[in-house]
Amino acid sequence: MNLTVFLQNVLNGLSIGSIYAIFALGYTLVFSILGIINFAHGAVFTLGAYFTYMLMGNAFGFNGLLANLALPIRLPFVLALFFGSIAAGLVSVLIERLAFCPLRRKKADSLLTVVSSLGVAVVIVNLIQYLVGAEIYTFPPDTYGTLPPAINFGTEANPIPIRSVQVVIFVVSGVIVSLLTYLINATKYGKAMRAVAEDPTTASLLGIDPDRFIVLTFFVSGFLGGLAGTLVGSSVSIAGPYFGIGFGLKGLAVIVLGGLGSIPGAVVGGLTIGLVEAFVPGDYSAYKDAVAFGILFIMLLVRPQGLLGRSLVQKV
Amino acid sequence: MQEIPLLEIQGLSVHYGGIQALQAIDLTIYPGEVVTLIGSNGAGKSTTLRAISRIVNAHQGQILYNHENITRRRPHEVVKLGIAHSPEGRRVLSRQTVLDNLELGAYTRSSRRSIQSDIEQQFRLFPRLAERKNQLAGTLSGGEQQMLAIARALMSRPKLLLLDEPSLGLAPTIVREIFTIIQNLRETGVTILLVEQNANLALQIADRGYVLETGCITLFNKASELLKDDRVRQAYLG
Repeated sequence: MNLTVFLQNVLNGLSIGSIYAIFALGYTLVFSILGIINFAHGAVFTLGAYFTYMLMGNAFGFNGLLANLALPIRLPFVLALFFGSIAAGLVSVLIERLAFCPLRRKKADSLLTVVSSLGVAVVIVNLIQYLVGAEIYTFPPDTYGTLPPAINFGTEANPIPIRSVQVVIFVVSGVIVSLLTYLINATKYGKAMRAVAEDPTTASLLGIDPDRFIVLTFFVSGFLGGLAGTLVGSSVSIAGPYFGIGFGLKGLAVIVLGGLGSIPGAVVGGLTIGLVEAFVPGDYSAYKDAVAFGILFIMLLVRPQGLLGRSLVQKV
Repeated sequence: MQEIPLLEIQGLSVHYGGIQALQAIDLTIYPGEVVTLIGSNGAGKSTTLRAISRIVNAHQGQILYNHENITRRRPHEVVKLGIAHSPEGRRVLSRQTVLDNLELGAYTRSSRRSIQSDIEQQFRLFPRLAERKNQLAGTLSGGEQQMLAIARALMSRPKLLLLDEPSLGLAPTIVREIFTIIQNLRETGVTILLVEQNANLALQIADRGYVLETGCITLFNKASELLKDDRVRQAYLG
């Protein structure tokens, strides 16, 4: 492998890995505050991509209830991405209110909540299929405006071209992760959110309303999921209503690798899986998922708390 | 004594599942008092505090604070009204620093400057916390965690401070240190409801005391009288 191909693989890996990271952050935030995996996160990812697609004024096909529908507005990509992700965040809050909150109030077993979130995922997938059909939607070529198709990271004599979309993804993800880390670690509300994650009863004794922070967490989680969905959907395509399901499973591998509930863990896990996948030789690219889950199995055997997770043995 | 109570509990009953933890208790606290609630393990002392700060529900009776019925308020609202609770087992936020714990204690307040000066005030009161301000709270010793729990409760500038078993599991020298601080707190004007298994110590610093036995209040009097009472001496002062 020559240097150019190597660097290309690295940059490709970081690009897809950073999407894994922001997607997995959504899982991790909810896990750290409620101690459960929200299986509807993959469906929110899918919705985010559809929302952005719609907000850009793109039309749907003939198969669903909304056949040939297009919104009368045409937002530029950046705004559509922003509002699409906000819409995904709001759906995530709705899921919390309908599928998580009632069970929490009744102090139901967390397994029931997990099953409930799986049910929501199936309902959303079916609803998408009912509304817009099962076909693949591709963002139009002018989605990214005047961005050149590739940027050269090498010299003129020795070019290392990278698709500019991937550079955009990497930059957007970097900004989002830094912002989130800052908000959670250095602001009053971030500290309150971590207090709720550690001990909701004690948080309430300090005047913090745990419920408000659970809602906020679901919003941020859904925002990140929707953002990841749009980044994948716009750089490749929206591969139908089941689009987010496979990605959702990949996200699970990422958080288990990085450490459940750990924010830096989600980032490191995402980048690791992205990089490893990028180095799977082209002939074997159909087996990328097997590689990701292979890493997961090895991790579970060697270090079950993940790369950056807290030890599973509870200290007394 | 003063005629307008700060806290008035009337006929309060609490059940956990089918088990009755408190049976129609009455308890009154006047502004500026230190009142202690003593009794053996499982008598319902902690439950009383948890009912006041609303993390357990009252099944009957009411809790009046400054004449306002707070029996149906939510826990975070009660903090805003001026009640702070330093819970049993300290419950510091172990994954955040001492400083963050104190800042979160002031969550209901907004003036950065007065919060900052209150943090410095806590550090004067508890110099050990100042030395460890950037350490994660989980790495503190039991005594330091107890000091942090009290300091954190004070950060909301409470009118009524609920202290649950501040001596639990601590070495005698540390216990004395903490009780001296509690005694000094009364000079700042905060009203204190102190739950303790160490009845002797508690009655020495309190104005009045209530004795709780299996969910009922069986005795209440001036602390100095309770210290002399034969029933109290036999059961709790050994």
